Amino acid sequence: MQSYLLNNDFENFQKEFFIFNTLCEQLVIGATVIFPVFSFSTIVPKTIFSFLGSDSEQPQPNPKFKMILWLIIAGTRGGPNRAKILSLIKDTPMNANKISKVLNVDHKTIDHHVKVLSKNDLIVKAEKDYGAEYHLSPIMKENQDALEEIMRKIGTR
Amino acid sequence: MVDFMLAAVIAAFLNIGLLLVTITTYVQNMRVIRSYYTSGLVLVALLLMIQNVVIVIFWFTLYMDDKALMMSADMVAHYLFAINVIQTIGLSVLVGITRR
Repeated sequence: MQSYLLNNDFENFQKEFFIFNTLCEQLVIGATVIFPVFSFSTIVPKTIFSFLGSDSEQPQPNPKFKMILWLIIAGTRGGPNRAKILSLIKDTPMNANKISKVLNVDHKTIDHHVKVLSKNDLIVKAEKDYGAEYHLSPIMKENQDALEEIMRKIGTR
Repeated sequence: MVDFMLAAVIAAFLNIGLLLVTITTYVQNMRVIRSYYTSGLVLVALLLMIQNVVIVIFWFTLYMDDKALMMSADMVAHYLFAINVIQTIGLSVLVGITRR
């Protein structure tokens, strides 16, 4: 191409440039057909959770939510206790005092865990101020399967 | 003048400390919840730990053995410093989240 420009042969340069451009376009189209474009956000959660083992027939929990739940429970100090709290209030809403008695854990620790779980929108406090009971948030209720899966892993120990 | 190589190694030691805290938490959780997720967290933290230990070994080898090598390494020490300090900031955030 440079030689065309040096020799002022602009027509030939245009022709070659057109052929080069067309070839590039064909290459891109070919690559798209051979390697279909996958969304990163759909591949990553599927890849991460494919090894966790789950029944394909049952409704699957939201993979993104599942990842957050795993991170809060398995990736933080006191995570297993948080899972126990979630599992405890799953069926019967309880206040912090009762949770601490049932789990036999210090009241301050439970208060802290409950605060973290509320901040992450996993549990909701009832409107009553004193001794208010906590229950699962709607999104947590929708994805209870993810919690049960984690609880099964805790139960194996 | 700032000794970037020394600063980089101090950052590497800080990283090792932060990783020790992270690994402790992850191992404690792994003992309760046996899963690929918890084992994976421990593995990742361990690999990062190995990386920082290698950096420290690299520094010792460089400064104890070869003066000529030390001179050329000093020329690129600010890059190593930047890498390690960025890792220290990242790990501090991770420890903050993990210990919350």
